Amino acid sequence: MTPERFRRLTEAYGAMPEHWPAAERAEAKALLAQRDPVVLAALADARSLDLVLSGHSVAAPESDLVRRILACAPLAPARQEPAWKRPHWWLSGAGLVGVGVAGIAAGVLAISLTGSIYITPANPPSLFDQTGESTVFSSATADWSDQ
Amino acid sequence: MNEQDPDAELLARIDGREPGAVREMVARKLPRLLALATRMLGDRDEASDVAQEAFIRIWKQASRWKGGQARFDTWLHRVALNLCYDRLRRRQDVISDDDAPEPVDQAPLPEDQLDESARSERIAAALAALPARQREALVLQYYQELPNVEAAALMGISVEALESLLSRARRTLRSRLAGERGEHVFGKERR
Repeated sequence: MTPERFRRLTEAYGAMPEHWPAAERAEAKALLAQRDPVVLAALADARSLDLVLSGHSVAAPESDLVRRILACAPLAPARQEPAWKRPHWWLSGAGLVGVGVAGIAAGVLAISLTGSIYITPANPPSLFDQTGESTVFSSATADWSDQ
Repeated sequence: MNEQDPDAELLARIDGREPGAVREMVARKLPRLLALATRMLGDRDEASDVAQEAFIRIWKQASRWKGGQARFDTWLHRVALNLCYDRLRRRQDVISDDDAPEPVDQAPLPEDQLDESARSERIAAALAALPARQREALVLQYYQELPNVEAAALMGISVEALESLLSRARRTLRSRLAGERGEHVFGKERR
């Protein structure tokens, strides 16, 4: 590497070897080790600007920004505890059984009541009994055509 | 690219909804993204919005990310830069490299007020006054510490073109910062 290339290198990339192109870093360091005044002056110039640029700081992210970003993140799946670990898991089972039993009891009661209607001899005509002559739709009194 | 992408494993954990993976990604990338956007835009609120938008893209991308093409961090820089340029265009702030940048209004400050914060603000103002492509080159190479090949690829230019942009950026900054404050900003003794 020539001193001229070293000067252009530092003018572009600054004084820190880790910022120099990887392919030229070793050669640049070797040239620097020779203590050439031109090379040292180029390095000092670049370093002074690096120092100034390093004075530009950016404040850490605010907690509100972090919250907003996390609010948009994919949610972790809800952890499912094994059934036996869930509190009072047996209560929900007992509840289901109870509802089932109550339903059956209600059904039996309804059937027994309906059956008693048909068994009773003095059974009054039902609104749904369409076999008789008079229905809610066929009553003579419902003919209002003459009125 | 033969190297293992250092973010690949974390992306897979996010895709697998592993608790803590999302927070780890935020801790790893948010400060860098925010710094990039802040230096490109010179506006903290806008930079925060850019960072948030970039993270929305990350969350979407986590399940689809396929290694072997570009590094995730390079892709993320491209996303953030695109978001920054969208905003710069909206501001009509993009100045071609051949145009002379507008001088920034900077009233001189007393010497004793040139503390760390004021110095940072002055550099921010000088950065903001650079043409956008010069600023982008400097931010990627110096502040984000991307290798020159990667920074050039991100910008869609050759390494030689990147070097040219960097040299011009540094020259402009040197003359602007030295010109307005005297040589003391370059670490020389105050009078």
